[in-house]
Amino acid sequence: MEGDISDETFDSSVIVRGRDLVREYEWGGTRLFGGDSSPSVRAVDGVSIDVESGELVGITGPSGSGKSTLLHLLGGLDIPTTGTVTIAGMDTSDLGERGRTRLRLEHVGIVFQRFHLLPALSARANVALPLVELGESKSRRRERATELLEAVGLGDRVAHKPGRLSGGEQQRVAIARSLATEPDLVVADEPTGELDSATSDRVLATLGDVADDRAVVLASHDPRALAVCDRQVPLRDGTRTSGEHSHGRD
Amino acid sequence: MVPPRRLGALAGLAVWRVIGRLRTSSAQITLSVVGVALAVGLVVSVCGISLGLASESVVASEETDYWIVPEAANVQSLAVPTGSVKLGDVHDASAHIATDERVEYAVPVSLELFPVEDAVTGERTYVLAVGVVSHPEAELLGLPLGRLAPGDPYYANGTYDGTWTGEAVLNEAAATSLNASTGTALESPRLSNRSFSVVGVSAGGRTATGTVPVALVHLSELQAVSGGATGDQADQILVSTDDRSVRPSLEGLYPRTTVVRRSGLRAQRVSSSNLPLAIAVSGAATTVVVGVLFVATLMGLAVSDDSESLGALAAIGLSRRSRSFVVAVETVTVALLGGVCGLVLGVVGIAGINAAGEAVLGVNPGARFDPLLVGFAVAVALLIGVLGAVYPVWLSRRTNPLEVLSR
Repeated sequence: MEGDISDETFDSSVIVRGRDLVREYEWGGTRLFGGDSSPSVRAVDGVSIDVESGELVGITGPSGSGKSTLLHLLGGLDIPTTGTVTIAGMDTSDLGERGRTRLRLEHVGIVFQRFHLLPALSARANVALPLVELGESKSRRRERATELLEAVGLGDRVAHKPGRLSGGEQQRVAIARSLATEPDLVVADEPTGELDSATSDRVLATLGDVADDRAVVLASHDPRALAVCDRQVPLRDGTRTSGEHSHGRD
Repeated sequence: MVPPRRLGALAGLAVWRVIGRLRTSSAQITLSVVGVALAVGLVVSVCGISLGLASESVVASEETDYWIVPEAANVQSLAVPTGSVKLGDVHDASAHIATDERVEYAVPVSLELFPVEDAVTGERTYVLAVGVVSHPEAELLGLPLGRLAPGDPYYANGTYDGTWTGEAVLNEAAATSLNASTGTALESPRLSNRSFSVVGVSAGGRTATGTVPVALVHLSELQAVSGGATGDQADQILVSTDDRSVRPSLEGLYPRTTVVRRSGLRAQRVSSSNLPLAIAVSGAATTVVVGVLFVATLMGLAVSDDSESLGALAAIGLSRRSRSFVVAVETVTVALLGGVCGLVLGVVGIAGINAAGEAVLGVNPGARFDPLLVGFAVAVALLIGVLGAVYPVWLSRRTNPLEVLSR
């Protein structure tokens, strides 16, 4: 199931494709009298990757290896300094901020380590947020959000505010929110980073279910998280190492 | 163009966020509401005062009574005797004015501070003695002139040897301070062989500086005891008319006099300076400026504090325009909540101003609440919200989701 990174013909099953990705960040400012004195750091250096629909890919590596940066590039949150990221056939570098926001809304679901639910809203209202932007009717939003919360095992928590939910429940609400617009791709940044092991297993099982009919990319150094992935993409100092391996999910 | 359904949903999201943050005691949101409430409360109170002033000037404009006063004096002499320039031959002049068929009546008025002894304790108290020619329909300082015997009997065509009535009508303040009632003889060291007795007690006596003890007497009798009989002197002439065209002829009657519209000092000041409008406008302008600065600063801080939520909204696909709209509606909601609270504060403030004026100065400042102030307060709050939203919206537009989520 691993994508052939040398094949440039676009396979319709490939949801996100990264080619020769480089992401540089500058440190400090500029010289007073001209010239750029800022040293740059390559957080991602020449990475290529394809992720197909139905695939759960784990990006792994130690802290500072570029996992989150690569995930942001693949999720359309950021654009590469050089190289290309194509999501659902669209090159993110060709899109402006507005275009990438729309791309994320329609094609990418995002799960954060710290959930980032709005505390004033119920679980259902949080899940329905992306549908607000799509202009869906209130009844449709409620129906879809309830359906998704039931799918992640929170059908009895729809009216609860995040403050009344456990960490695992909040993360499952966040996963439900990421699926609201039926995206082709879900990216999850350390989705179990703030959860205990028992809760992590439940969240990972949910993400595994999510990957049945879409592409899922998660960045993590949690061995349990990586164990559920179809394949792992190990990074070190921003580059892929040779230790990539794959195995099928149960 | 953002679809109305989406706008409605985003507005609902904004309102819920404000309510939720108020429940969790978000300092910036709470302080913003309080700040707007104080500002709006202040402007409602100030406008209540100006409405009170304006309503008095309206009364003045509805009436067409005039005062002829010496040019060197002013309408304040209605409340306080100046003891300086006086009008002469006032009985004849008043009678002449009254011959004009446009004039209902003309009453000369003399004012003297007069020492009177308390009927019980003998303690000396000063009252404002108001000398008038009685007229059944005339009223002065709220006291009906008709309580005195008609005309001015003692004057007797300028001979000052007519019937001495000795009638005095006291207002309640004078009756209280003198322990006097109907039939009480008024004793004064300045009366020598003359005497006055109370023929009635009436409400009234309110002047521009408050309610003062007033004794209404016949003009010639006051002139006789105060030395004003020489030259038939008085301070002013009150002219009652339904026809404003009288004014020019009044102005030509006495050299070096001024004709002013009735209603006393405050109305005169108001009508000549547009004070109520000035107060309301300056109050509203100050409130808007202070409110906008307050709301913009605090909501800006709130946006900075809440940048993670805004970043999350951006990450999940809410456009910059939608996020800006949410922040703008939040700011307007906060301002409107403050406006409603401020309206309540303003109503309390108006009542408090009136109560404090009565208690401390003995004068009811006349601040009043008008239902129009509800709309005014809401409009001011809305303006504060809309203008105050510019800075938070600008800040929210600068929020980079990646930067926030990478923290």
